[in-house]
Amino acid sequence: MKSISNTEPKTAMQSFWSRAGKARRWRAFAPLAVLIVLCILIAIANPNFIEPRNLIRVANSAAVPLTLAMGMTFIILLGSIDLSVEGAVSVAAMVLVLLATNDSNTNNYGWFAVIAAIAASTVMGLASGFLQTTLRIPSFMATLGVWFIGLGFSVYMLGGSAVRLMDENIRALALSRFLGFPLAVWIAIAAFAVAIVIQYHTRIGRHIMAIGGGEDVAELSGINLRRVRIMAFGLAGFFFGVAGVLAAAQLGQSNAVIADGRLFAAVTAVVVGGTALTGGEGGVLNTLVGVLIVTVLANGMILLGISPYIQQTVQGLMIIAAVALSLDRFNLKIVK
Amino acid sequence: MSHRASIAQFGQINRRTLMMGAGAGLAVAAMPKRLWAQGAPTLVTSIRSLSNPYHAVWKTGAEAYAASVGLEHVTLVSEGNSEKGIADIKAMLAKTGGNMVLNSDPNDTPDARPIVEACKSAGASVVTQWNKPADLHPRDFNPNYVSHIEFDGIASGKQIAEILFKTIGGSGGIIALGGLISTTAAIERKKGLDEALAANPNIKLLDFQVANWKSTEAFDLTSNLLTRFGDDIKGVWAANDDMGTGALEALRAEGLAGKVPIVGIDGIKTAVDAVRTGEFACTITSDPFWQGGMGLSIGYNAHTKKFDPATQPPEHREFYGKVVSITKDNVEEYYKNNIDSKPTMDWNDLWGRVTGAIRA
Repeated sequence: MKSISNTEPKTAMQSFWSRAGKARRWRAFAPLAVLIVLCILIAIANPNFIEPRNLIRVANSAAVPLTLAMGMTFIILLGSIDLSVEGAVSVAAMVLVLLATNDSNTNNYGWFAVIAAIAASTVMGLASGFLQTTLRIPSFMATLGVWFIGLGFSVYMLGGSAVRLMDENIRALALSRFLGFPLAVWIAIAAFAVAIVIQYHTRIGRHIMAIGGGEDVAELSGINLRRVRIMAFGLAGFFFGVAGVLAAAQLGQSNAVIADGRLFAAVTAVVVGGTALTGGEGGVLNTLVGVLIVTVLANGMILLGISPYIQQTVQGLMIIAAVALSLDRFNLKIVK
Repeated sequence: MSHRASIAQFGQINRRTLMMGAGAGLAVAAMPKRLWAQGAPTLVTSIRSLSNPYHAVWKTGAEAYAASVGLEHVTLVSEGNSEKGIADIKAMLAKTGGNMVLNSDPNDTPDARPIVEACKSAGASVVTQWNKPADLHPRDFNPNYVSHIEFDGIASGKQIAEILFKTIGGSGGIIALGGLISTTAAIERKKGLDEALAANPNIKLLDFQVANWKSTEAFDLTSNLLTRFGDDIKGVWAANDDMGTGALEALRAEGLAGKVPIVGIDGIKTAVDAVRTGEFACTITSDPFWQGGMGLSIGYNAHTKKFDPATQPPEHREFYGKVVSITKDNVEEYYKNNIDSKPTMDWNDLWGRVTGAIRA
């Protein structure tokens, strides 16, 4: 009797979740639903939210996180993690500022500084991919190392102080507008388009998904793991470099802490969007939604006048809620 | 067998060489100790790093003072590591036999106690700045612990707030950006703002947000606050210059730079430049050049018995130093004296910048 009464609710649970399992397709849209509900709630509480000026501001604060999260998405799809975000962003911002017109030296290389900055960050990405595949170091440790190498290098080069970016053309990325939006937003949209093309229309994109879904199977079907891994980290480095350029252009300066907190923001956005940390599930579309959720929430909490002391708590709750919603967790065999 | 013997012998020679080397080292270490103990004291500066502009200027001030009295000066850098900071100071005490004057910005609050105790037992004179435990007092370590210097966060927060209020004409709304919630400086500076607000009922604090001392966070917060309050924002109070510059860039993106004045604390170069262009109403600095030189001067004068620390009043033992405010009125002069050239200072005016004893 006892055992029966114990199993009964369980079967009820199971049937409930199997029915829910049929609706798994809809689960993919859970983050989008969260975003829409969030926008409606904030707009009701403070109609200023849907003012065009505010939507432009939301887009502007989403530009850097979106570009970063594009790079991070590919790495998480692989089933790896890239902790070198902050190192890569600070190196890109440092290279940009020191090569373009600034208040610390006499360089004036204009757009070449932008290219050099993105190249430096891409090389860092390729290096962490190379370290992992050649020395067989897990991505967690290899990119942790690259993070601190990059950060240390940029602190050394900047001498601990903030160097101002005084190249008007590069500052225009943040200050001049096209169709109402700052150029930084358009660049972030372009980065998003590039990421979409890479994920859905190129071989490397499909190989990344395949490796994330099951590395051994992918290898058996002839995918060159080493090459794909190095290229994926190089790709991530490229996006981090673009984000570093945008961040420096927005702030008009580069200092050692320009990248502080960017790693957390990027991983949060990817995960909240519904891309699984185990790899092979999700994608750049999810990440777009994730970035918007995080940015809209931050904007909304200010509009609603929520005390700064509890804003972080709300963000933490949101991460847990979004992750719980996005996957059918009751069918997971192992939770680590 | 012979092979083994040669290995054993090799070890013996090695050990002997080592002993001889150690003996020679000890002798060398002992010699300068005697020489120094009889002569002039060594001036020692202990700071966190040379890679931030604040401590770099501190060191320049220390060197300027050392040159003015013609003494040897050594800079110890802790690189943010308390153990290294304390160990370096102890090594220096051993090397000089206690005949030294230490001006220290302890890496962390608890570090001040072992530093002071080591100086006391070696007979050196020490001045600490910024960080010390509340129950550690110079008067308990006469005559070695000469003074402790801090800068009043409440007064600084209040001072910039008052300059901001004056700049916007005494009425209107402002937004405020605070530092990391748990830090003393953030708490004190906010308290100063609150005091200034209480005294100026026509100024309305629209919102207080925390940007954790960072320009990036201040940038996002300020643009969001612009949505919420729009043109009601007449001024921005920032608890440090870095957040102030983040707010400035957010204003610039909306075409408001220079129209909405900002105030900050620290006197970083970007902020001083912004004061020159009229985008900042003011920034204030504790003057690290003065801190670096005067800390040594107070210690040196006590060490050479020019004054007896034990007979000094309490406000000379634990005091708040005077901050220097940089506004539109004096920015050109400040720029000429501090950025284009090295400032000149009267190092014998030991107590000229005392504003009062530190609150218990």
